[in-house]
Amino acid sequence: MTAQDSYVFPELALEPVDTGTNLLLTGPPLVGTQRLLLSMVTGADDSEGLLFISADEDGVSIIEDYEAAGHTFDPGRMCVIDCTDHSPEPTGAVRQVSGPSDLTGIGIEFSSLYESLSASGVDRVRVGLYSIPTLLAFAEDFRAVYRFLHTVTGRIRTAGGLGVFAIDPGAVDDEAFATVAQAFDSRVIVRAGDDDPEFRVRGLPDQPDGWHPVP
Amino acid sequence: MSGDETVSLLYVDPDEQARPEVQTDLEASPLLGVDVQTCGSRSAAIEALESTAVDCVVTEYELPEATGIELVHWLRDERPDVPCILYTDVGPDAIETAIAEDAVVEYLPRDIPDSSRSLARLVRNVIAERSQLAYPVSETEDERLAAIQRYDVADLEATATVDRLTELLASHFDVAVVFVGVVDAHEERFLACKGADWDRLDREDAICSHTLLEDEHLVVEHVQSDARFADIETLEALDIRSYAGVPLTTPEGLPIGAMCLIDDAPRSYSDDDIEDLHRFADELMEQLELRRRLSAVERTVPKPDEGSQ
Repeated sequence: MTAQDSYVFPELALEPVDTGTNLLLTGPPLVGTQRLLLSMVTGADDSEGLLFISADEDGVSIIEDYEAAGHTFDPGRMCVIDCTDHSPEPTGAVRQVSGPSDLTGIGIEFSSLYESLSASGVDRVRVGLYSIPTLLAFAEDFRAVYRFLHTVTGRIRTAGGLGVFAIDPGAVDDEAFATVAQAFDSRVIVRAGDDDPEFRVRGLPDQPDGWHPVP
Repeated sequence: MSGDETVSLLYVDPDEQARPEVQTDLEASPLLGVDVQTCGSRSAAIEALESTAVDCVVTEYELPEATGIELVHWLRDERPDVPCILYTDVGPDAIETAIAEDAVVEYLPRDIPDSSRSLARLVRNVIAERSQLAYPVSETEDERLAAIQRYDVADLEATATVDRLTELLASHFDVAVVFVGVVDAHEERFLACKGADWDRLDREDAICSHTLLEDEHLVVEHVQSDARFADIETLEALDIRSYAGVPLTTPEGLPIGAMCLIDDAPRSYSDDDIEDLHRFADELMEQLELRRRLSAVERTVPKPDEGSQ
């Protein structure tokens, strides 16, 4: 695999993942699931774009989390879609929608930002979403969230992006979880571990076996 | 949908000059084979959608006396599976989504370089990926849809068989409704239904859409407390409170529909009950398979009097 047809993870014990892959990141809150997500959407250099769909935390806070974890947030190629209903003032780096139930609005912002990145010559884009249970809790209909996930993952697949979408399996029914999982290629599983949080990959070829520490 | 079919697209734009340009660009695009019909308003679009089958809608946001989002709102109610792309210079901030927060559409700005090429590519992708469906489909959906043609109950003169098995199913199980349904691309058609008078359901409303993805069967003891189905008003309106379904699967493993038990109150089923339901489903598919083989033989082997001519 070359750097052109895959995404690398400089901070993690993960082999490169093919372009167009959508990963479901499953884990309980407060064991580093969000930290792992922020690491997974970070590339090795400054050539890739980043779109972050934030439903649990406002856009300014998520950028603070990202920088606190030692990453640089470059507004020239990175943007957060703030889906909370308590957004601070919008900035160039944070786009707002009316709230987490506005799946149509989130989808339009997402497509618009993806097109802007392409137009500015950034054709490799990582997409993070935190988190699916919040979208499910606010949506009027489960089917709308499925349609939204299907639409966004479809764009990532066809545009050669990388998607990492977080879900706490404890926050949704087993049946709903299984249905949501069908929109994804494979899973990254986070657990508390004996001492520190750890993760493993399921359903992707050529990945290391076993549990690895969440940095 | 396989890539070499010609797809049908409705383009909605009040700008009389832009309409033929976009139509010509799309129809000339090497990226897809498409027939484009155009119109200039939401009401004309609805008229077109009601009279013809359309695979994709592309619409400007600003329409006379309405917005593109209001058109999508209608589309999700009446043709929920049809993918839609907002193709407009209006930026995301200025788009009013409040009336259709659940609708979910694709969006493409018109003012990007080479936008007609991007539009053609996006149309191809949303159709090929079936990306605006509200329910999961398997990777073999194209093959599955092709199989439905081969097992057409009317063609196989199997209507009486399906009716008879459905009657037996109803007398075997103490439930409100039993049915045999074929799950087409966008709807479930009820071939036989005992205990109710159901004709069709949008596929996004049909629990059987999920049954197709099951290896064995799907039992939903209480539909209204299952997160996947609790919000579906149609199910509540039809008094579908409990569901047990077994996929009707061809010998190649392609599910064409389901045989189902419905009750008007939450309930469970014993293993024996579910095993019996499997037996009924196996019986029906064996009948259809034998009839399909017979009709294939009849087509290839000429009858004796025809052969002597």
